[in-house]
Amino acid sequence: MLKMHNIRKSYRTDTIETHALRDFSLEVNEGEFVSVTGPSGSGKTTFLNIAGLLETPTGGQYLLDGQEVGNLSDRERSHLRNEKIGFIFQGFNLIPDLSLFDNIDVPLRYRGFNAKERRRRIEKSLEQVGLSARAKHLPAQLSGGQQQRVAIARALAGEPRFLLADEPTGNLDSLMARQVMELLEFINQWGTTIVMVTHDPDLARRAHRNIQIVDGQVSDLRQNIAADEAAIA
Amino acid sequence: MLELRPILSALWRHKISALLIALQLGLTLAIVSNASVVIQEREERIARPTGIAEADIVTAHFMPIPKDYDLLEAFRLDMDMIRQLPGVAAATISRAPLAGSGSSGGFHTKPHQEVGSTGAAFFSGDEHFIDALGMKLVAGRNFTPSEIRIMESSSSERPTITIITQQLADTLFPEGNALGKSLYFGGDDNPMEIVGIVERNLGPWPNSSVAGNTVFFPAIMETQWYDYIVRAEPGQRDAVLKLLEEKMAERDAERVIEVKTLTEQKTRYYAGDNTMIKVLTGVVSLLTFIVALGIVGLTVFWITQRQKQIGVRRALGATRTAISRYFLLENLMIAATGVALGTAAAQIFNQFLASEFGQPALPLSTTLVCAFILLAVSLTSALVPALRAANISPAMATRSV
Repeated sequence: MLKMHNIRKSYRTDTIETHALRDFSLEVNEGEFVSVTGPSGSGKTTFLNIAGLLETPTGGQYLLDGQEVGNLSDRERSHLRNEKIGFIFQGFNLIPDLSLFDNIDVPLRYRGFNAKERRRRIEKSLEQVGLSARAKHLPAQLSGGQQQRVAIARALAGEPRFLLADEPTGNLDSLMARQVMELLEFINQWGTTIVMVTHDPDLARRAHRNIQIVDGQVSDLRQNIAADEAAIA
Repeated sequence: MLELRPILSALWRHKISALLIALQLGLTLAIVSNASVVIQEREERIARPTGIAEADIVTAHFMPIPKDYDLLEAFRLDMDMIRQLPGVAAATISRAPLAGSGSSGGFHTKPHQEVGSTGAAFFSGDEHFIDALGMKLVAGRNFTPSEIRIMESSSSERPTITIITQQLADTLFPEGNALGKSLYFGGDDNPMEIVGIVERNLGPWPNSSVAGNTVFFPAIMETQWYDYIVRAEPGQRDAVLKLLEEKMAERDAERVIEVKTLTEQKTRYYAGDNTMIKVLTGVVSLLTFIVALGIVGLTVFWITQRQKQIGVRRALGATRTAISRYFLLENLMIAATGVALGTAAAQIFNQFLASEFGQPALPLSTTLVCAFILLAVSLTSALVPALRAANISPAMATRSV
């Protein structure tokens, strides 16, 4: 699904060049749920941005769903993001001026679906996150957990094959966090590949696999954490 | 895909600022379109045909120093000299039209008529008058030399023939055929036969209600209120002006001579109109500039305020074009509301100005042209901020600030 080979990303100012990712290689298979952890400033967000086609790498090769994406134009990257990738952000990133319905509608309009198809997808995704009755509400009228569920509904409505979650429970209390995590696990069971950046070791452990990024490189790769822990036990 | 409904929803949440800009635009449209009518009317007034070869005409006037000065002899000698000058096409003695100074009175079609007079300016002139002004005789004939009388300014004697303008002929004789009919001046019973009709002459006061109603008498008035009217060959006006001044001074050095082009006199007459045009054009430009600034300011503010949102939209699949289009469409919706309000306000404002100050009616087409221009200004103002918004990185969506 996702294959990065020797990815490099550096940011340059007049005097300083910062290497956010160095020879970063990673493969995520179709249907996997991968958690990404690491200290602040380690390069997690940069990895997420490159994986989600929000930024371009300085060097290296990135194949998404078998397609080399390094040389795509901005327009092609936008279309690919819209069709294949769903995003869940730490701060929910809902548009405050739009109702839940219109928020979920945003990526569907960019996809070019007709009104009927958009309505069908919006209603279905709201139902999946249990917020059908709140379609006309504004984000500010919802709790943090509900807002994150709307963000998940927005990501799901496009039926992406690849879901990128950036600290999806970072702004939630433990109960809400558990609900959101269960929802992500449920989505993964349908076959959606998920890569989740988190600081929470408990949540990281619930993924199939955990990747730790330190100083812009993958430092520790443990396959199937759950299976390892089961073996130790 | 156009995002009309979501934009409308978003605008509704910021309705005060959106409405203020729309109102500013509407008010600007109301003022600009009404100012445009005034500018247009003044420009048309200045540019309308005068019926004379104004660009080729030079006028000269002199003040004799001695009290016993033989004015008629001076006229004769000057005219003989002037008509011989190179570059001179024709010359006469009369009053310069378009100069803001002249004579007028009431004219009738019946003797002793006390009501229903038609106001008209009148000039005295000899047989060279039509040619010297470059007027076009459209019916009848010119005066002959034998018909020209020398009259004192205090004389109550009336000429027996006259030439009038087509406009006056149409006013006095709406059924047509004014030629050969009689004209009476000031309610008296001395008929003046209309022997000729000239196409057009706006008279001394082109802005007055009698402009275009002009009567010509076959006379040379022995008065100091006269001008030498000299028409130069095309392209020779400035040379003739210089030569005229030199030769008049050469012929009689004991007099003060003033030589001017008719264009100068016309410009002086229309100075008020020209000032009005400049002031209103300045006001229109300033208002349009302020509106443009307001739109740039608001668009930049909204874009700065929504940087994160733009990043999120980009992350969700919006292309750069889609982001620019969003802001341009948003601007267009505000501007369209503004011009819709402004179109109505312009008409109401015009009715007020028409009733209070006699301003000409504002055609809807003028408002629509102004509305179109303001829409274009509005979109152009929003264009640069909208294009800059498109450059906001989608990675903005994952930034914590």
